[in-house]
Amino acid sequence: MSALKVSNLYRTFGKLKAVNGVSFEIPHGAVCGFVGANGAGKTTTMRIIASLDYPTLGKAEVCGINVVHHPAEVRKLIGWMPDHFGNYEHMTVLEYLDFYARALGYKGAERRQRIEEVMDFTDLGPLASRFSNKLSKGMTQRLGLGRALLHDPQVLIMDEPAAGLDPKARVELKHLIRVLAEEGKTIFISSHILSELGEMCDSLLFINEGRIVHHGDAESLKTGSDAVGGLLYDVQVEGDPQAVSDWCVLQPNVEFLETRKQGGRIRIQSDETGAAADVLARMIKDHLRVTEYHREQRNLEDAFIDILGRLDQGQPAVPPPLPTPPSNN
Amino acid sequence: MSSLQLTDFSDRFPPMLVKELRQGLRAKTFIGVFLALQIFLAVMLFSASAASNSDQVGGIVSGVLFGFFAIAVIVVQPLRGTNALAAEIKGQTIDMMVLTRLSAWRIVFGKWFAIVSQSALLLSAIIPYLILRYFLGGMNLVGEIVFLFLLFLTSMGITAVTVGLSGCTSVIVRSLLPVIGLPFLAYILLMLSFSGAMGGGNSLIEICALDSTESRIGVLCYILAIIYLSYSLLSMGASLIAPAAENHSAVRRLLALALLAATAFSGFFELLDEAPTIILICLIAIPAVIIALVESGPLVQTVRRPFEKFGPPGKLLGHFLYPTWSSGVFFAVILTILAIISIFGHGLLIPGSTTMLRDFFSSSDADDKVIVFAIAGGFFFPALWQMIFFRGEGQRVANYLLILTGSYVLLGVLSALTNAMESSIFLLFFAWNPLVFLPIMDEGSFRDSTLLVAILFIVSLTFLALLLGAIRHAGSQHIGIDESEPTPPQAD
Repeated sequence: MSALKVSNLYRTFGKLKAVNGVSFEIPHGAVCGFVGANGAGKTTTMRIIASLDYPTLGKAEVCGINVVHHPAEVRKLIGWMPDHFGNYEHMTVLEYLDFYARALGYKGAERRQRIEEVMDFTDLGPLASRFSNKLSKGMTQRLGLGRALLHDPQVLIMDEPAAGLDPKARVELKHLIRVLAEEGKTIFISSHILSELGEMCDSLLFINEGRIVHHGDAESLKTGSDAVGGLLYDVQVEGDPQAVSDWCVLQPNVEFLETRKQGGRIRIQSDETGAAADVLARMIKDHLRVTEYHREQRNLEDAFIDILGRLDQGQPAVPPPLPTPPSNN
Repeated sequence: MSSLQLTDFSDRFPPMLVKELRQGLRAKTFIGVFLALQIFLAVMLFSASAASNSDQVGGIVSGVLFGFFAIAVIVVQPLRGTNALAAEIKGQTIDMMVLTRLSAWRIVFGKWFAIVSQSALLLSAIIPYLILRYFLGGMNLVGEIVFLFLLFLTSMGITAVTVGLSGCTSVIVRSLLPVIGLPFLAYILLMLSFSGAMGGGNSLIEICALDSTESRIGVLCYILAIIYLSYSLLSMGASLIAPAAENHSAVRRLLALALLAATAFSGFFELLDEAPTIILICLIAIPAVIIALVESGPLVQTVRRPFEKFGPPGKLLGHFLYPTWSSGVFFAVILTILAIISIFGHGLLIPGSTTMLRDFFSSSDADDKVIVFAIAGGFFFPALWQMIFFRGEGQRVANYLLILTGSYVLLGVLSALTNAMESSIFLLFFAWNPLVFLPIMDEGSFRDSTLLVAILFIVSLTFLALLLGAIRHAGSQHIGIDESEPTPPQAD
């Protein structure tokens, strides 16, 4: 039985199809990243799984339990961390966690123990008496994670938890997620920052316009059969950096990808390393004053752009099945 | 980690109450009102004790004391509820609460109970001043205590209104409450309490002394009405924030039906006089109809299943008790028809008694019937407009209340114009709104029996259009959420 199973899920708001036939499964103990542009349908899908919204059509299950039929049972199994949540006025961090622990049904010593455990885990102890609406974004996210973990859920659903965090807070959050993954929790996490998801996740789901357009693990996306072929090079020149993109327009098999400080990033449509030497030779011959020319690894952003590009060209996206992660149990 | 323990509230307290009290007792509004009331009352009693004619001064002290207490608990405290649920919705904290074991009802009830508890603190704070005031003389002990209790009860009712409607995210609607409703209410209460204190005739304090059977029945009916209204509004608030699987509408509607049946029964056998029967029927039916007409929940299997267990009769009953818009319309129409029968059928089961129901189309009392149908139709008119012009499920409460307010504003403007102008033929252009029949009837150009036929036609048309819309909506809901083996809709 999967930790999360979504079948033919649709959600419409008036004429807007926010989720348009999404299906996927996430096995127990997996960390799955959910990737998509703003408005792609990530939050709506996650809210349906968390039993906070309902599907127009289709089915979502957590550990085999239907989220619409048995929301109360589902809620015992999941921890939900939204992208943004307001904190309460006149309420300390300790009181905040105490309220949610009470609301989850914990009493007396057991409640105090649960609060202590999550405060230790999220390092909120020193902030216990601070008002929750006076916390920094990073501290607030730790508080949100602590709240989501109070009832020790099997599945953690995190919607953009790293949004707006400074680098230090981001590293801390990543560490906490890794620890939770090692404890065997199933984590379903959405983010815009693909490089981070690549480091944390066993698998990635790409969603676009309400449809899943790709499943796969991070490594196969970078190097596997899904990757669009070609060699990626960073080119820096002396003088006008625009010259690189202008030059690329005139070249067959060379594509200009993005502008950088003194040049840009290009894709050479060949898998032979000799082709890169030829391109450099042509640049020099055409009087481009190249100061830097080095190969770059294909990253997840490239993979995402490639997939969207293929969709734009009308190629159907047939997501392969998700890989089974190594079992922690 | 012992320093991390919280010992301010026992485990027995409901979580929402603990949270709200922790926040509320630190809020500047509460602290400000509490201190201001204490300082004001202390200064007032000190000044009054120095006055020579203590009997007269005692009455004035009571009036002022009740007046300021009324402002505190009927205006300031309920105002704190206007944002109660909206703030949680806006901050997305409501989602996190819903994911705990707290049901939507416990969340709303906890919010209300916390504000009421703080009002109770204010009440307990003025009791020492009331005891001191007793020694100034001229005190109607029972009357003033019951009056104080009724003030507190009224505060509970108004707080339920503000907390219940705070689930509506429209800022305009939530602003209308304090801007229009509360100052008006405070003005009336102040006038009543001052006139009572100054020795005005049949004052509220005298009624509250419970000297006569009528006053005892009146106070009892008021208490029951406030409890029912509070429950209805809080239950509506719960519906607004409840997940799809929770059905708060069924119990609310069944309660309204049961209370209406009991009142109608009392009326049919003349156990109650006609006037209190009509007032009670209106108090029961109006909130139930309005709340039913603004329902916007989806219909999921979890909600359908308990009804489907009873076969076709259960399914049929479900169509009146599901938390959906169409079921709300079906229920509202049925309840309104029953309420109208109950109003006109007073004494129906007493042999020889004449009732308006028996000679419905005779010209006698046609004006009463026009008034009843105009007011009843006035509650359905906004629902019809909403169905035609605002098809989305969101903001149903806000749209309804705004159209209803607009409808009454139109009524006021037309009434004023009718008084100012010699001709009132222009009123007929607005006769699509049932409420407009009130100034038409008032103006007197048409016979009451003609107006009765016309209003029946307009109201029937309104009902019919709404019912057709509701039947269509109910049909679409059956294919709305099918979690079993879905067939995907056609892609664009």
